[in-house]
Amino acid sequence: MASQDRLNTRLVSIKNAAASAAQPAPLLSVKNLSVAYGANRVVHDVGFELGRGKSLALIGESGSGKSTIARAVLRLLPGAGHATGEVEFDGREILGLPERQFRPLRGRAIGFVPQDPGNSLNPVRTIGVQAMEAASLTDETNAALRKVLILETFAQVGLDNPQRVYDSYPHQLSGGMLQRVLIGLAVLPRPALLVADEPTSALDVTIQKRILDLLTRLQHDLDISLLLITHDLAIAAERADQLVVLKDGAVQEAGKTRTVFSSPNSAYARKLHADVPALNPDRYAKLRDPGFRLLDRTSGTASKIEVSAVTKTFAVDGKVLTAVDDVSFSVPAGTTHALVGESGSGKTTTIRLLLGLDEPDTGEIAIAGENLAGRSQQQLRSVWRQLQLVYQNPFTSLDPTWTVEKLVREPLDRFKVGTAAERSEQVREALSNVGLGEHLLSRKPGALSGGQRQRVAIARALVLKPDVIVLDEPTSALDVSVQADIVEVLLSLQARLGLTYVFVSHDLALVRQLAHTVSVMQRGRIVEHGRVSDIFDNPQHGYTAALLDSIPSGISTISQTPPKAQPQAEPVIRTERRERIA
Amino acid sequence: MSLVSNTSLTSGQRRDRLAAFRVPVTVALSFAVIAIVIAWSLAPQFFTTHSPVVGVPADKLLGPSLSHWFGTDHLGRDLYTRVVYGTASSVSSALVAVVIGVLFGGLIGLLAGFLGGWVDVVFARLVDVLLSIPKFLLAVIVVTAIGFETINAAIATGVSAIAFFARVTRSEVIKTRQATFVEASFLSGGSRWYILTRHVLPNASRSVLPLAVLQFGESILIIASLAFLGYGDPPPASDWGLLISIGKDYLKWPWLVYAPAFVTIVTVLSVNRISRWLRKTD
Amino acid sequence: MSNAYLTYAAKRLGQAVVVILLAYVFTFVVVSILPGDPITSVLRNPQNGFSEEEIAEIIAAQGLDKPVLVQLWHALSGFVTGDLGMSMRSNRPVSTLIAEVLPSTLILAGAGLAVALLLAMLVAYGTRFVPKKYGQGLLRGFPSLFLSVPNFVIGLVLIHLFGFQLGLFRVINPDSFWATLFAAVALGIPVSSQIAEVLIANLDKEAEQEYAAVARSRGIGQLKLFVSHLLKPASLPVVTVIALTIGELLGGSLITETVFGRTGVGSLVQRSVSTQDLPVLQAIVSLGAVVFVLVNLIADLLYPLLDPRVKILGGSKRRPTTSDEPSIGSAKAVNP
Repeated sequence: MASQDRLNTRLVSIKNAAASAAQPAPLLSVKNLSVAYGANRVVHDVGFELGRGKSLALIGESGSGKSTIARAVLRLLPGAGHATGEVEFDGREILGLPERQFRPLRGRAIGFVPQDPGNSLNPVRTIGVQAMEAASLTDETNAALRKVLILETFAQVGLDNPQRVYDSYPHQLSGGMLQRVLIGLAVLPRPALLVADEPTSALDVTIQKRILDLLTRLQHDLDISLLLITHDLAIAAERADQLVVLKDGAVQEAGKTRTVFSSPNSAYARKLHADVPALNPDRYAKLRDPGFRLLDRTSGTASKIEVSAVTKTFAVDGKVLTAVDDVSFSVPAGTTHALVGESGSGKTTTIRLLLGLDEPDTGEIAIAGENLAGRSQQQLRSVWRQLQLVYQNPFTSLDPTWTVEKLVREPLDRFKVGTAAERSEQVREALSNVGLGEHLLSRKPGALSGGQRQRVAIARALVLKPDVIVLDEPTSALDVSVQADIVEVLLSLQARLGLTYVFVSHDLALVRQLAHTVSVMQRGRIVEHGRVSDIFDNPQHGYTAALLDSIPSGISTISQTPPKAQPQAEPVIRTERRERIA
Repeated sequence: MSLVSNTSLTSGQRRDRLAAFRVPVTVALSFAVIAIVIAWSLAPQFFTTHSPVVGVPADKLLGPSLSHWFGTDHLGRDLYTRVVYGTASSVSSALVAVVIGVLFGGLIGLLAGFLGGWVDVVFARLVDVLLSIPKFLLAVIVVTAIGFETINAAIATGVSAIAFFARVTRSEVIKTRQATFVEASFLSGGSRWYILTRHVLPNASRSVLPLAVLQFGESILIIASLAFLGYGDPPPASDWGLLISIGKDYLKWPWLVYAPAFVTIVTVLSVNRISRWLRKTD
Repeated sequence: MSNAYLTYAAKRLGQAVVVILLAYVFTFVVVSILPGDPITSVLRNPQNGFSEEEIAEIIAAQGLDKPVLVQLWHALSGFVTGDLGMSMRSNRPVSTLIAEVLPSTLILAGAGLAVALLLAMLVAYGTRFVPKKYGQGLLRGFPSLFLSVPNFVIGLVLIHLFGFQLGLFRVINPDSFWATLFAAVALGIPVSSQIAEVLIANLDKEAEQEYAAVARSRGIGQLKLFVSHLLKPASLPVVTVIALTIGELLGGSLITETVFGRTGVGSLVQRSVSTQDLPVLQAIVSLGAVVFVLVNLIADLLYPLLDPRVKILGGSKRRPTTSDEPSIGSAKAVNP
């Protein structure tokens, strides 16, 4: 018996040796990884392998456990989190390692780029102090040379003035700059593996692309393996060799990027692919067509909304800030007009003016031919009867102490529409219009999911049967699959009821899917406007082109020759204003 | 992404949500303590057969035993009985203090926070003034001005809490007033008064409630301190603070201090535990 | 020292002066206008044995025969110039009475604050290093336990255990080292639990921040994380909390002095309350307000210099926001 055992062991080891000769051992190998918070299991038996110098993306929506897996690999699970299974790094099992033996790997061998750069640096210490922590992980022992190393790294990640960054506190830098700092600190000790947890989701779109380019470039230049966590299938497909699609903590599909991306096997991966706006520009073509026909027919006649030469300035700390600068657009009835721009572009101020919540300094706004200027609050009420707003964040736009029924009925009660019985009937109708059942009537917002809440918010805007609904980034707080559902609801309502939408968004891909006309805003001005197809196929303004360029296409950038390290020569786009030291 | 919530609840999450509603053991114990205290104050005669006023001189200064749980005092009165009969005054006066503090403070905070402008400026200065006078000193001069009685001590304690509740309510009201759902209600045609009563008040009071409970515990302590200094009802009343004050002259028989002190501490601890639980389950 | 900071400091100083003056007026109103007539209750009280001439003299000296507003003006202008008036009972200047007892109270309050800070830091910082199974829960329970104990009980327990049982000090000699120390402990414990509560909450909050995890991903250990990352942001806000507890210290010393038989401002208050010596009460309460307002003024002026997150803008301090553009949902609409 004993000799038989020995023989088996030898056979196995020979086989292993053969295997490793054929194919180099992976840098990171995860097997049967499960993570639980107390009794609540959030990750189930996940496994994948990441080779040296390669990249792998974990894709999933919220609750998919993707970030938890990243934290488990870094062994940074918060409080009650407990991981079981195997995580091998460089041939060494690290999950069961005592903290003392694992700590030398952190930073030195495994670097981490976090999701929200704004909260990822100590607010009361300078960048330099924190950079020194990273520099102390290198072989360099001389403090002065360590600083040189830091400044070199800052230049390498495209920070213009390394010394100034070094002396700054985090709140003095923009989000894009902070993310560059964090990436710099992560790569400074030359780790073999970089774990990037949604590294761009808190940033503006044009900055997103440049941060991702930076990551890809560093990965190639420094020969680092990249574990990328993202919710965006298109980004993942562009940046990773392999994809792992997760849902509810379990792997749905895994494999080479090209295979998973272009011919997904699992139903979930297929749905995910179909729900990404950037990959399906014509998904809602049928629902949108009536609007285009209206657009063709009504050209020249009066519009539902007329905004002409509107300017609005604010005094901020003694300086005058022009939030909206000579903005004009018009929206024909039954169509969707999109206002597109990054943060600070003035799109939010524009819709506040449109709703009469602020008054413009100059210019005129007319809703259905009625001028808004000089109206009292009482007179504005009659405008709101026809003009409703859906907010960006359904987690703050619904009173948490109210039930769904009360919330949706509130506009009817306030505008005294019909009898009590009619009102209840209209509430039910509005809810069924947005695809919500009556069993939700007595629930409070806390007991609803994000998608359900936004549907309630839309039902509240619909219940008065207004002509115009202003949608302020109505899906930006939601997962893509939920976003697709909401967009579907909005477009079919428009097709059925002839609603006019003003749709505010930073997401060009989404706008391309659902709008008829679009105004691109930058620093308070409209830089370009027109039909969606015209703008997207043939952008005239450099900023529009840059925005379009930043839409992830899902076409891999990996096979192409990586752009060479030229931090200073990066295309300087004029939105860089927010990327400078405040 | 961080704002996104799951579209469907898994069974595990549902279980967690149920667990959140289940009351922890310490909280259940706290409620039991408060129930006993309330029962003592409503019907003390059901809990003891001794008299709180008339003692048996032969039994004076006995240690705790089965017949006298907390021992007896210098006049031979059963201390447990005195504690039980002192509950009503100790607890109800704390309640009066909370009501005064929450009502007046809440009103000031509500008006200041909601109306803003000069109303806010005037009330803010008033609150600053009230806050600037050390709480206990304020209670002492108020009770001095209106006379040494337990009910006056309660009023004084309530007055000293007004500023705190005004400030908390004001900041809660301002926070709620700036909430998106308030603007949404405004766009739905809600008037200011309607928004104040239907949206702002319920939301603001949700965060004030645990603090009111906390203030109840603190009021018990302050009123006990005032009674300890002799600013409450005189003996033979048996307010907890007064009992401790009498006991301090008999430190050779320490149960005269420890027993009423123990009851006070356990009561306030329970109240504070409930307050913390309310804050968490909100 | 930027211009904005100086504007802020000047504004804050002006506020402090206004609050102090108003606090004086407020106490004046409370002690003189509320029910209870000091002339009959104090002067004509047969126990005090004043003759009619003496009464008339005191009334004239205190200006009690003048209209209330004139009295207020008189008292307020005296207060501003440092004249706190005369005691109604002992016919001595109030300032002399207070000056006699002030050192003892300052020693007690100072020692109490030191005890409170030391204890709070031990407890709060301890929660970071004592593991869960070795009594971290006990440390975390400390603040809520001692917030539930009346401070005279703490004093009595200390006297009973250390004075009576162990004989470390005697109540007859309240100014001895041990007696003062235990008085300070009795005074400091409730104050320390307030500070500890805030410190623990802040430490927990900071430890959960993303930057703590990111710092750990750079390979630093628990001790380094605590010292170079958590300590400063968690402790800075406590400056304001400490300033707020000054009121607690002043109020608490009143009771502590009674329990430990010390002579101090507290016992002077007690005596003045029992004799209805209103000018003394008025002076002590308004001086309490002065101390409280000044300490908080210092804390407010210091804080922006300590915490780089706080920006001073337009004469008021605030934390920087991400965007200065008004956002939809900022509900300016309700107050157009």
